[in-house]
Amino acid sequence: MYAPYRRAVQFAALFLVFFIPVLNLFEIYSITGTFYAINIGSLGIADPVVILQALFASGRLTVPLLGAALFPVIFALLFGRVWCGWICPYHLMADGAAVLRRFLRARLFRSSFPEKLPVSGSFKANVVRFGFLMLGTVIAGAVSIPVLNYVHAPGIISTEGMIFVKERTVSPEVLFIVVVILLELTVLPRFWCRLFCPTGAFISLFRARFTLRIENSAKNPKAPCCTENHCSAACPMGLAPYREGNNLLCTNCTLCVDSCLSKRLRFGGFRLGA
Amino acid sequence: MSPFFAQSIGRAALAGIKDLIQRIFLRGENPFVSYATNCMRPPGAVDEKAFMALCIRCNRCLEVCPYGSIKRAGVGFAMGTPYVLAEQKACYLCMACCRLCPTGALDSSLVSPEKVSMGKAAIDKSICYSHLFLEHDVLPDHTGRKIGALCNTCYNVCPLQDKAIVLRKNLFPEVMDACVGCGICVERCPTRPKRAINVIPTGMGRVDEAGFYFRKAKGHYESAVTVEKQGQQGVLKGDRLLEQKSRIDATTEQPKFDFPYSVPKSIEGWD
Repeated sequence: MYAPYRRAVQFAALFLVFFIPVLNLFEIYSITGTFYAINIGSLGIADPVVILQALFASGRLTVPLLGAALFPVIFALLFGRVWCGWICPYHLMADGAAVLRRFLRARLFRSSFPEKLPVSGSFKANVVRFGFLMLGTVIAGAVSIPVLNYVHAPGIISTEGMIFVKERTVSPEVLFIVVVILLELTVLPRFWCRLFCPTGAFISLFRARFTLRIENSAKNPKAPCCTENHCSAACPMGLAPYREGNNLLCTNCTLCVDSCLSKRLRFGGFRLGA
Repeated sequence: MSPFFAQSIGRAALAGIKDLIQRIFLRGENPFVSYATNCMRPPGAVDEKAFMALCIRCNRCLEVCPYGSIKRAGVGFAMGTPYVLAEQKACYLCMACCRLCPTGALDSSLVSPEKVSMGKAAIDKSICYSHLFLEHDVLPDHTGRKIGALCNTCYNVCPLQDKAIVLRKNLFPEVMDACVGCGICVERCPTRPKRAINVIPTGMGRVDEAGFYFRKAKGHYESAVTVEKQGQQGVLKGDRLLEQKSRIDATTEQPKFDFPYSVPKSIEGWD
């Protein structure tokens, strides 16, 4: 069972959003920053999409910029899109929205919300998200403004948390999060992480043979191995995990591993403690 | 629970929500649609275009600022970028934000406050108490009360005292080129509703520095200085002119005010 650990890590990340500014109020600067860019000790980490846009927009290539993006890229090469499934505070909110949605569908609205994910099929979803990333990067380069930062959900959440702690208020960016969550709750389930999030799209590009992934231990991993298909129903990204464990959309969230009754799904590639 | 109690709680909650909404939207004024006086980028900022490209809106400068000087710009293209609003809280030049900027939008190699250039302060002589006192001795302020003051607050609070702001004749303040534009003088300036001293941010055009004739006059002044360096007597300006004039005495021989340029006899095309 990975679910409790995953939730613990997610809530720890959400706690950190409010705890880092509190530390800084007490003038402890060993960890500073938001989820756009963070410093842990002397290790500088920045979102690679943010760095990519800064490179395109400013047209200058500097060593600190690349160095800040290096750590997330190595992390993604080793563990896949773990940032999305296990750490990102927006993904936690989207999980909460999904739970609330299921409740509303069952109790109040009698299935008036659509159940299907907006763009079906992993290939189409990947085309949409990489298209959005490329479009955003090209616009950033053209107008010299990192435009994808306006829709950088984890960054906005952590920035708003910091502003809330420091100034007891929030800024207009919070409306973006509210609108997206409301859309996910009503008509477009899971659309942001699956179809648009530029950070998720960019870090999922870094995938090698040794990257952590979901593997099917059945004899023929391409064929459906049971009739219930719990894993496909559980997958928030709309994948069929018995054959698409290595898809670029997969966040290693392990919901499919937990839902598989016959315990055929497991971690593959670079293995954790196995 | 009595109905009165419930009513008052409800009213307080409504007032709180209204206040929150107002605070969200009213602080959304965006100072960087165009330049405005007293709105500066934090210390060490690169020029405005490169800053807009490099700043990733991570707000770490805002987070680390111990004085709470740095604010965020509201809705617009500059949304989320940092700025200092000198009238509310000036920059105290602790240089903590420059060190932390991950993309170099704030120059991380900048450590000495003297090398910052956020802007330049400019004194409005028509409101400054000291300048008015110099001319009128006693004057009415905006309430009609007669005041006359040698205030010099800007000189007293300036972190680069005697470099950025000097006191001329121990009477009135004057801003020098060493001014870094931190805005502490603006924050403390006592005149209301308008401040007598304002910071003009770097990159914003100044009325008194604009136009062809200003540049021409400036070039003329520079050439006069170079002429003087060569050992001839140059065109005197400002303090040196005052000094020389003060030495004029009718009883002694008068100094010569030579014009060191040869005047052309004819001008091309002016026949």
